[in-house]
Amino acid sequence: MESIEWGLLVVNYLFLAGVSAGAFAISAIGTHVGGPRFRHVAQVGALIAPWPAMVGVGLLVLDLGRPLAFYNLFLTVQYTSPMSIGAWLLSVFILLSLAYAALWVPAPLDNLLRAPTRVQDVAHFARWILLSPKAIRRWRAILATAGFPVSLSVGIYTGILLGAVPSRPFWNTPMLAQLFLFSAMSTGTAAVLLVTALLGTHRANRYEEERRLLVSTDIVLIVLEIFMLIPFLLHHALSPWSSASSIQLILGGEFTLWFWIGTILLGILLPLAIEGYELLPVTHKASATRHSLELSAASSALVLAGGFVLRYVFVYAGQVSHFLPVMAH
Amino acid sequence: MGSNNKRRWGMVIETKRCIDCKACMVACEVENQVPLGKHRNWVGQEGPTGKFPVLGLRFEPGNCMHCENPPCLRVCPTGATYRREDGLVLVDYDKCIGCRYCMQACPYDARYLDEQRGVVDKCTFCVHRLDAGQLPACVETCIGGARHAGDLNDPNSEVARLLARNDHTVIYQEAGTRPAVYYIS
Repeated sequence: MESIEWGLLVVNYLFLAGVSAGAFAISAIGTHVGGPRFRHVAQVGALIAPWPAMVGVGLLVLDLGRPLAFYNLFLTVQYTSPMSIGAWLLSVFILLSLAYAALWVPAPLDNLLRAPTRVQDVAHFARWILLSPKAIRRWRAILATAGFPVSLSVGIYTGILLGAVPSRPFWNTPMLAQLFLFSAMSTGTAAVLLVTALLGTHRANRYEEERRLLVSTDIVLIVLEIFMLIPFLLHHALSPWSSASSIQLILGGEFTLWFWIGTILLGILLPLAIEGYELLPVTHKASATRHSLELSAASSALVLAGGFVLRYVFVYAGQVSHFLPVMAH
Repeated sequence: MGSNNKRRWGMVIETKRCIDCKACMVACEVENQVPLGKHRNWVGQEGPTGKFPVLGLRFEPGNCMHCENPPCLRVCPTGATYRREDGLVLVDYDKCIGCRYCMQACPYDARYLDEQRGVVDKCTFCVHRLDAGQLPACVETCIGGARHAGDLNDPNSEVARLLARNDHTVIYQEAGTRPAVYYIS
């Protein structure tokens, strides 16, 4: 009776869409807040944002019973279906994030302006089409503003998609939307942190402010996740039979180790400890965070892994949870 | 549910008459060419209950409940699942993309993925038979006379009279689905 219809393709999509949404969101924040201070974060976030979502959407289409019929999603809007709303949302997000990313591609055109005259003419023309630096900054701000609510919506709607299904007691709580949103923001931030760490730029002193932004944002998001998970567990355990029975899946049942070791220990507690350790000197009035490429790469990789396991546990455990069988009497 | 011009198809199942022969499952699979391993209907079992030598066993046939408030319809992103005027909940196979959201939403696990066609399918109350004035295959073949089908809105129909004369329930009433399949035990 309990078949797992939505498998790893769906789990991957949920994870990738979350990373995209979070990367866009932190980039939008970096664009608007602090002027030139967070420019590097904004750039990395912008350039990362479109791709995981696009890969995820590809996986979703492949997962369909009739992949070639996917266009049916765009012949209608079914307002009561989170999946319909999500399909449209995702399309808007992808187009918007691609346009936004284009504005952040480093312009090699400036070099061309010093080239021989013919090439200069081409460069000037291209520059005119592609906007002046001031216009580029303005468009970045516009797309960041427009895209920020879209990215939050992408981060949250998957939680609504699962959470609004009463037939799967493990999923059926409004808290799922919040949990998925915080996880999306957290994994997106971690992705940006990981890329800056791998690029090595992270280590340079002039990026100290950005390092602090990324690490402290991630800490806040991780703490928020904890504050979502605790009521989630309690609420289910104290709810009617179907819910209480479903939460046993991670309190002794088949997904217990995945949840507590994968999601909680590796994905939440360890990164929290590492990032806290990195940020600690600043709280004691030191001038800089303790930064090391290895620590940042480790904590962000753990957050990403934990976010994936979170999606895996929830998607699978939810499908195992059913209304408890009851015969008509 | 009084006298009404509009027809509403429904079923009444008398569980005391079910002997678990599963002829209804066979008839359905033959009539509707259900893919091997998938089921449009089923016979549930409760028990054995009681203490030897006084033991009891109860059987409960079931299928898609053709709910008045179907959760499957609500979540379908393409509008493939729809409800006819006469209460039947059906799938438009041209619009179905096989996302299986409806399968997650159904509390009765009534739906399955037809892997060959890539669409989701389920019991249709044998709509092709109903439209031709016949009974669903499972009802026609039930040797214990447990399964009944008819117009719930016609006070003279067998199902309406059974409901009027007997206590009856539905499954997962608290889910608010308002099924069209009633149980008399």
